[in-house]
Amino acid sequence: MHMLSRVADSLYWMARNLERAENNARALHVQLINMLEANDAEVLDRDWEEVLEITASLADYQSQYPELKSEEIIHYVAFDSGNINSLVNCMTYARENARATRDIIPEGVWEGLNRFYLDLPAVRRSDFTIHEIQNFLHTITMTSMTSQGVIESTMTRGVSYSFIKIGKWLERAEKTARILNVICEKARKEKQDSINHHYYWLAALRLVNGYDAYIKEYPPKMNAMHVLHFIIEEEKFPRSIRYCVDHVMETIYKLEKGEIHHYSERLFQLLETIQQEVTSFDLEEMSMEELMGFLDHFQNRCIQVSRVFSETYYLIEPVEIK
Amino acid sequence: MLDQYQTDSFFDEMMNNKEQPKPHYEHFYQMLHRFSVEVLHEKNETAQLSFLRKGITFTVYSDSVGTERTMPFDFVPIIIPSQNWQRIERGMKQRVKALNLFLEDIYHDQEIINDGIIPRELVEQNPYYYHEQASGLNIPYQNHIFLAGIDLIRDEHGEYRVLEDNLRNPSGMSYVFQNRYVMRQVYPELFFEHAIETLEHQLSELHQALIMHVPANSLSPEQPCAVLLTPGSYNSAYYDHVFLAQQMGIELVEGRDLVVRNDIVYMKTIRGLKRVDIIYRRIDDDFLDPDAFDPKSVLGVRGLLRAYQKGNVAIVNGIGNGVADDKAMYAYVPDMIRYYLDEEPIIPNVETYFLRDEEQRAYVLDHLHELVVKNVGASGGYDMLIGPHAEEEEIAVFREKILEKPAQYIAQPTIKLSRAPAFQGGRFYPCHVDLRVFVMSGAHSHVLPGGLSRVALKEGSLVVNSSQGGGGKDTWVLQERGNAHA
Repeated sequence: MHMLSRVADSLYWMARNLERAENNARALHVQLINMLEANDAEVLDRDWEEVLEITASLADYQSQYPELKSEEIIHYVAFDSGNINSLVNCMTYARENARATRDIIPEGVWEGLNRFYLDLPAVRRSDFTIHEIQNFLHTITMTSMTSQGVIESTMTRGVSYSFIKIGKWLERAEKTARILNVICEKARKEKQDSINHHYYWLAALRLVNGYDAYIKEYPPKMNAMHVLHFIIEEEKFPRSIRYCVDHVMETIYKLEKGEIHHYSERLFQLLETIQQEVTSFDLEEMSMEELMGFLDHFQNRCIQVSRVFSETYYLIEPVEIK
Repeated sequence: MLDQYQTDSFFDEMMNNKEQPKPHYEHFYQMLHRFSVEVLHEKNETAQLSFLRKGITFTVYSDSVGTERTMPFDFVPIIIPSQNWQRIERGMKQRVKALNLFLEDIYHDQEIINDGIIPRELVEQNPYYYHEQASGLNIPYQNHIFLAGIDLIRDEHGEYRVLEDNLRNPSGMSYVFQNRYVMRQVYPELFFEHAIETLEHQLSELHQALIMHVPANSLSPEQPCAVLLTPGSYNSAYYDHVFLAQQMGIELVEGRDLVVRNDIVYMKTIRGLKRVDIIYRRIDDDFLDPDAFDPKSVLGVRGLLRAYQKGNVAIVNGIGNGVADDKAMYAYVPDMIRYYLDEEPIIPNVETYFLRDEEQRAYVLDHLHELVVKNVGASGGYDMLIGPHAEEEEIAVFREKILEKPAQYIAQPTIKLSRAPAFQGGRFYPCHVDLRVFVMSGAHSHVLPGGLSRVALKEGSLVVNSSQGGGGKDTWVLQERGNAHA
C-alpha cells in the first residue's frame, strides 16, 4: 500500500491534537487541584495565567477578557470554539482527522473519538460545577490513553503507525519544554530556597504526568536539579524531551530503512543537531536564564522539525502552531 | 405479537393476515414469539446505538449546516425465496446489459436513434448527455456500468417492478453489509433454521470487477493501481466510500490527492507520485474535471478527462451515464431490452406518462389526484407530487410546473407499494418498502444477493429515502434448500 500524503498528514495531526488535548486537560486538572489549597489571590491569579500559558492561549485570552476569572478561564480553555487550542476544538479536530483516515486506523480509535464527540452535547458549558469539569477532563485523558492503547496493541509497525507516533512525540516534546519554561520563569522570580520552590517543581512533575515515575527514582524532596534532569534528559522517562527526540529520530530512521536519501537529508541533519543539543547541554553549568534560553530554542526547533518533516513527506502545509 | 397488525389492501411481504405468515416467513414468525416486546425494544435500542457509535452516518444539509445522522434500522428482514430471487437476478442482468449497450451505442453510432426507437431530442437535450466528453471512446470491456443500483418495488399483486435505475453513483452498498452485521450481532437467534445466501465474498467480487477495467495504456496491467475518488468527509455518502475502499483494499483519495501530468494520473504519496490506473469515482461528472466540465469545481482533478480519453486511466462508472438513468429515459428501457437483446423484459417497468406528449399530458392533468408526478432530473424524493396524499394547493403548484416545463416531468400511476412489518417504539406496524439491487460488472455481471431494503418508517409515508426519514432492513435471500422448509 502507498501512503497518501493527505492521509499521512491527518494521522500526524490526529496524534498531535489528541496529545495536545490530553496535556491541556492535565494542565487544567492540576490547576483545579492547586486552587483548592491556594489562599492568596495573587498566587491564584498567577497560577491561572500559567494554565493559559501552558495551553498556549494567554495572549488570545487577554485580548478578549480584561481580567483573569476562573470560570471564564475554564470555559476558555475547555470549551471556547474561538480558542483553537481549546479542549473541545482539539478533540474535534482529532475526530475529524480520524474520520478522514478511518480506512487506515484501528476501528477502536475512531469509535473512541466518535463516542467522545457524540457525548459532547450533554456536557454543560456554563454554570458547571468543578466536579463536572473534572469528569470532563478525565474523559479526555481516558479517551486519549485508550486510543494509544488500541494503537499500541493492534497496529502494524508500519508507515501509518510511524506517522502517528512522530506526531505524538513532537507534540509532547514541545509541550514539556513549554511547561518547564513556565515553571522556570516562576522559580526565577522567587528567591532561592523559598518554600515555594518545592511547590513549583512538584507542579512541573504533575503537569508532565511524571510525579509517580520521579519518586521511584529520587527521594520525594523536590530538588530542582533532579527534577530538571528527569524531565529534560532522562532517556527512560517517556515524557522527557530526550526520550521524545530519540524516538522521533529512531522512527524516521526505520521509516527510511536506515538510508539517507537526498529528500530526507535535511530532516536527518536537523534531528541530529537537536539530538546533539539535548545530549551535550550541561544543566549544572547553566544559569536559570540560560536554561530558559535553551527551552525557548528547543521549542523553536520543534516547530522547525514539524515543518521540515511535512516538507520531506509532501504533507499539506501544517497548521501554524501558536 | 402481531395481533394488532393490519395488512389492509396492500401486498404484505410477511403476513397473509394478522394470524398467518407467508410460508417463507413461517420460521421467522415462530421465532419472534420467543421474545417479549421489552426484549425486542431493548435490542432495537442496542442496534440503533451501534450504528451511531460506529459512525455509520450520512450527512443531512439544511441551511448549509451539516448534521450527521444514522439511517434507522428495522430488524424485521425482507425474506426472498430463492425462486423469486433467481428471477430478479436474471431480470437485473438483462436490464443492465441492455442499458450498457444503449450507452455504448449512443456514444458511438446511435443506431437506436437512427432506427427511430428513441427520440433524438430525448438524448441530445438531456443535461447528462456528454457528447463532447464521452463520444467515440474505447473503454475497457466497453463497460460503462461497473456498479448499478436498480430500485425495485412490488405492487398490490406482489409483482416486482423497476422503479428507477441508478447508473451514476448508486450509494448504500455499505448499509447492506452493516445491516447484516448488526443483525447478526444483536439478533443472532433469528438466523436459526434459516439457510440464507451469505455476503462474505461479495466485496471480493466487487474488487475483481473493478480491477478488470485496466486502461489501454496501463504500465502494470497485471496489478493495476485502483483508487476510490470521494468528494471528502463532508459528503453525505462518505461512509459508503470509506467502507468500500477499505473492504476492497484500495486507496481512498480526494481530488486534491490526484494530479495529472502529461495526461497521466498520479496520486500524491509520501514517497512522491504514484501512477493510478483505475478510478472508481464517487464524484458526479460535472465536478470531475474543471477543465472539461464545471470550471468552478474544486472537488475534481484538472486534466482528468484528457487522461481518460487517451486511455491512460479508466474511470468507472463511465462518464455520461446520466443520460441512461433519468426518469424520462426510464420509460424506454423495455424497448432497449427488446432492441438490443431481442428479449422481453423479465422485470417490468411502472407505467409512465410523458408530459411532453400532448395527449398524455391532458390525461395526467385530469388525473393529478391519482398519479405520482416526478421531476425527471431530481432524485432523493424531491420535487415529487404524490397525488392521493397531496393538498389541493400542492396539486395546483404542480399543475403550473407541468404547464411551464412539460418535458421536465413524468407521471406514473400511484402504485400500492408493498408493505412489511416494522418494529419501532415497542410495536409492529406496516410500512412501505422497496429494494435496491446492486449489479456489479466487469467482464461479466454479478448481482449481490438481496440488496438494500429501504423502509418508509413514518406511518403511511411512501418515501423511503434516508434523507427523508427512511430506514433500512436486512434482506435475506433463501438458499434453494432453505426453501424446502418454507
